[in-house]
Amino acid sequence: MTSSSLLLLLILIAAISYFFGRKRSEVVAQSVGGVRYLHSLPNYYGLMAAVWAGIPGFVVLSLWVMFESTVIQGIVASSFPDSLKALSESQTNLLWSEINNLRSGVITNASDPALLTAAEQLTALEDRSSILKTILTLGLAGLTGAIGWKLIRPAQKARNQFEAFFRILLMLSSLIAIFTTVGIVFSVLFESVRFFREVPFFDFIFGTKWSPQIAVTADVPGSSGAFGAVPLFVGTLLIAFIALLIAVPIGLMSAVYLVEYASSKVRNVVKPLLEVLAGIPTVVYGFFAALTMAPQLKNFFEGIGVNGVSSESALAAGLVMGIMIIPFVSSLADDVISAVPNSLRDGSYGLGATRSETIKQVVFPAALPGIVGGILLAASRAIGETMIVVMAAGLAANLTANPLEAVTTVTVQIATLLVGDQEFDSAKTLSAFALGLMLFFTTLMLNVVALAVVKRFREQYD
Amino acid sequence: MTTLAKDSMEAVFEGWTSTVGKPTMDSDVRMSTRNVDVHYGDKQAIYGVDLDIGKNEVLAMIGPSGCGKSTFLRTLNRMNDTIDICRITGDIILDGDNIYDKHMDVVNLRARVGMVFQKPNPFPKSIYDNVAYGPKIHGLVTRRAELDEVVETALRKASIWDEVKDRLDQPATGLSGGQQQRLCIARTIAVSPEVILMDEPCSALDPIATARIEELIAELSENYTIAIVTHSMQQAARVSHRTAYFHLGRLIEVGKTDKIFTAPEHKLTEDYITGRFG
Ligand SMILES: Nc1ncnc2c1ncn2[C@@H]1O[C@H](COP(=O)(O)OP(=O)(O)OP(=O)(O)O)[C@@H](O)[C@H]1O
Ligand SMILES: [Mg+2]
Repeated sequence: MTSSSLLLLLILIAAISYFFGRKRSEVVAQSVGGVRYLHSLPNYYGLMAAVWAGIPGFVVLSLWVMFESTVIQGIVASSFPDSLKALSESQTNLLWSEINNLRSGVITNASDPALLTAAEQLTALEDRSSILKTILTLGLAGLTGAIGWKLIRPAQKARNQFEAFFRILLMLSSLIAIFTTVGIVFSVLFESVRFFREVPFFDFIFGTKWSPQIAVTADVPGSSGAFGAVPLFVGTLLIAFIALLIAVPIGLMSAVYLVEYASSKVRNVVKPLLEVLAGIPTVVYGFFAALTMAPQLKNFFEGIGVNGVSSESALAAGLVMGIMIIPFVSSLADDVISAVPNSLRDGSYGLGATRSETIKQVVFPAALPGIVGGILLAASRAIGETMIVVMAAGLAANLTANPLEAVTTVTVQIATLLVGDQEFDSAKTLSAFALGLMLFFTTLMLNVVALAVVKRFREQYD
Repeated sequence: MTTLAKDSMEAVFEGWTSTVGKPTMDSDVRMSTRNVDVHYGDKQAIYGVDLDIGKNEVLAMIGPSGCGKSTFLRTLNRMNDTIDICRITGDIILDGDNIYDKHMDVVNLRARVGMVFQKPNPFPKSIYDNVAYGPKIHGLVTRRAELDEVVETALRKASIWDEVKDRLDQPATGLSGGQQQRLCIARTIAVSPEVILMDEPCSALDPIATARIEELIAELSENYTIAIVTHSMQQAARVSHRTAYFHLGRLIEVGKTDKIFTAPEHKLTEDYITGRFG
């Protein structure tokens, strides 16, 4: 049986167990004088019966699915002739794809007769594994289901048991998120370490020249200077800075207008409209930036006599990105500003303060932690944005603070480095991981700083 | 309240003509209202109230919940302007000026008629900045030393100086509820208003803090005009000179506090005071 149909069957078994467990608790209740003398409500007995019937089988099934192919491959590989065992890793990979091709019938002639036997062995093992899996899963479900059924007695603390189970379930869910993050960090870290074996760490973070192409074609691996990440980070920060320069004031002011000045009619129309901005795909922003904004800017600056304006510029990308992240700032600021209690506003108005005085001196300080949060969210959004920059700011890794020149960013480089067929152990592709690691670090530091700021204000004002 | 009681009250209003007692004064008037109606949208909350508040007087406003005490109090410094749907007609005079006149500056008005709210609402700032807020926005002082003095005087008058003098730079939100309310009173005093409006200033406080605020009201009445809304009849009896009884948006009866509480003339007042409803 396939794993997915097994899973469906398990769910069915659990559902049936629920009903029978529930019924049984009502039956056993009669011996003690009715349902009210049970330790828990019948519902909980049913739930526990379902947990018993479903969960152990599910755990075994998932473990099986996770390790099945690795174990089978291991067994097959252990019976390879010595000549094959001696091969390098990439050659072994080729062997396996040949074996798979043999099995699916894409090719019929094996380069080595041992591969044919291996293919047959693989098929036989997989068949056996499938049968074993079915028997084990269903057998276990039946066994533990029966145990769960037996356990149903008036004194069984089904409610407490189910609560405990539920708590573990919730805990596991949160662990999954954590493990995934940790997993990603580690995989990026490992690949980065490989990269730093080829390119010295300090050349990477302090180098001012970025041109990965050269490094690949030249025989000298990672000739120094080719992997200097400084221009990328400067480009990223420049664009993010321009974007925030646009988004923060406009976002905050529109939030203040909507909360403090606009009538509810205006608010009901404008707020959703503003949020539409957040729903526009970034590609659309991208071509708006590249096809509309950038030429306009070029014309404008050349019109006022500034020469050497690139047709792709940090300014165009930053401006459009700023527009894109306005809703992030405004809707978060809107929430926190509305959350400032009206009693504070009344207190200020009652002393004769005007609206703007009240906003500046009472509402803003009270809402500050949330506002900082919103700005940081917008900042990490700006730093992580790729599409607009690809289209509007170009790929040239210029080290410049001039917003009218073409620049490139970390995310854009990561994207271009990994596009297309690449060998995965060249310094060029590995550098993407190093960049990713640095980027991750930057946003992490940003969050840490943000949390510290927010916490300081909390301590002061709560 | 039962339907029957309500019907009988409507019957009372059928023949309702004017306030029992003497709502107006002959001399020493600080504020007076004439024929004030307040509407929230289509709903009328205040019906034709005439009432004078004297200089150095403490006027208590009592009445069942929802009868319009807060609404009326808030018309006195135009706090109702912040509510879109609220409409006010009639005249409200402060020292001879109509406060709803086109030329009246609300900022200035609220400096002259301060307000203390039901729940203490200190700003998320330091104790010092809370009190300094009003004087600063009104430009009452120019030098830091003057400001220090204004803050200290206000805190002393609100009898909270001794408790906070060593922690002026700490957040006001760290004070106890009773201290916060006295701070809010100090904040109001700091702009030297002529009238202080208080809307149930003690309802969030324990008896000890309440007693302190009541003492404070008595002291403040030497210099200020105070209008206080309260649900505690004992409090009204203890702090006020005159008492006004509101019922469903009407001013039913006004009189000397001891008279209202010992010999009310109107049936509704009597019922409320003796605890038959409310
Ligand atoms: N912002 C508002 N919008 C609409 N109606 C309101 C508003 N504020 C008050 N009202 C209505 O006006 C009437 C008087 O309310 P008000 O708050 O003045 O009563 P109150 O006497 O202060 O009551 P309480 O003793 O419970 O504080 C009530 O019927 C209330 O529902
Ligand atoms: Mg009220």
